[in-house]
Amino acid sequence: MLLTDLTMSAVDFEAATGWAATPEGMCKGDVCGPAPGAVTDGSIDLEAVSARLGMALVHDEERNVWALGPESGGRALTTAMAPELELPDADGNPFELSTMHGRKVLLVAWASW
Amino acid sequence: MWQALHEELEPLGLSVVTVALDFDPTKATPWIDAAGATHPSLIDTDHRVDELFGISNVPMAVWIDEAGTLVRPAEGASIKVSPLRSMEIPEHLPERVRQVMAEMKNFPDTAEAYRAAIVDWAHRGADSPFALSPDEVIERSLPRSADHSRAAACFELGHHAHDMGDHDAAIAWWKEAHALFPENWTYKRQAWTLESTPDGADSDKAQEVYDVYGTSWSDEFLRMGGGATYVIAPDL
Repeated sequence: MLLTDLTMSAVDFEAATGWAATPEGMCKGDVCGPAPGAVTDGSIDLEAVSARLGMALVHDEERNVWALGPESGGRALTTAMAPELELPDADGNPFELSTMHGRKVLLVAWASW
Repeated sequence: MWQALHEELEPLGLSVVTVALDFDPTKATPWIDAAGATHPSLIDTDHRVDELFGISNVPMAVWIDEAGTLVRPAEGASIKVSPLRSMEIPEHLPERVRQVMAEMKNFPDTAEAYRAAIVDWAHRGADSPFALSPDEVIERSLPRSADHSRAAACFELGHHAHDMGDHDAAIAWWKEAHALFPENWTYKRQAWTLESTPDGADSDKAQEVYDVYGTSWSDEFLRMGGGATYVIAPDL
């Protein structure tokens, strides 16, 4: 996730990463971990959450942007609950993976290269 | 190929959703048009499925059930036997090319079994032995280290620098991503597509060396362990 600021709303953070701020700490699917200092008044301190969840926070000084990597220290999947994925289709129309609920989905990644 | 599978299994409640990992959507759309795709055909210019699902090469797939639960993690997703496995290796070719072609014969021989597993799951759902429990799905997904997380961040900063017109800075970020997570082929193959051949033509997999990266597809393919590691074989 590309960032121009090291705080963001908990709502936006959850939409982007799947990690929700709850009274139990930061939770993704059925996995929760304590994250003291990560959330204040609905706002996420990205340096704190980066340290707690093992999300690399890397700064590009020249362009003054940061990128936040995914959580680490475990497996590529923290939970078996599929994350929300919103991407444009080939015509540019937005598509949300969750609209497929009720059907089985074979999600295939490919590339032109 | 995926369109045919989609048409076959759609009446059983299974949809194929394809995701193209391409910085430039116009590279992907001609393939989608040519396939006559009626299934959702998405374009992921930021390679988000890499970090969300653990995709590390293409083609790879995950299975998601009716409740939105993953029942198979990211794994190699070929449903057609690769002709590379059975091709003759001509004697007259240079030794190195022969070495690469010999390694391609080690691509996993799972295409037919994988296709049959998908069909079985479409018919039997949770009763299919190929649909895994949540714990198995997590356990079978690849380990993710701090370096892998950092690689994702560096890859994204490279993409941003590239979009801002600073290709040299992008290359520096991508080199870092490649070094941190060498098993991720999407980071390498995507970056290489932006390098022209010595003749100035578009990127070509047969290109001997991508100058700015000091390596090539063949070099990396052999260095990383060849056909057996290039594809994460589905464990069926």
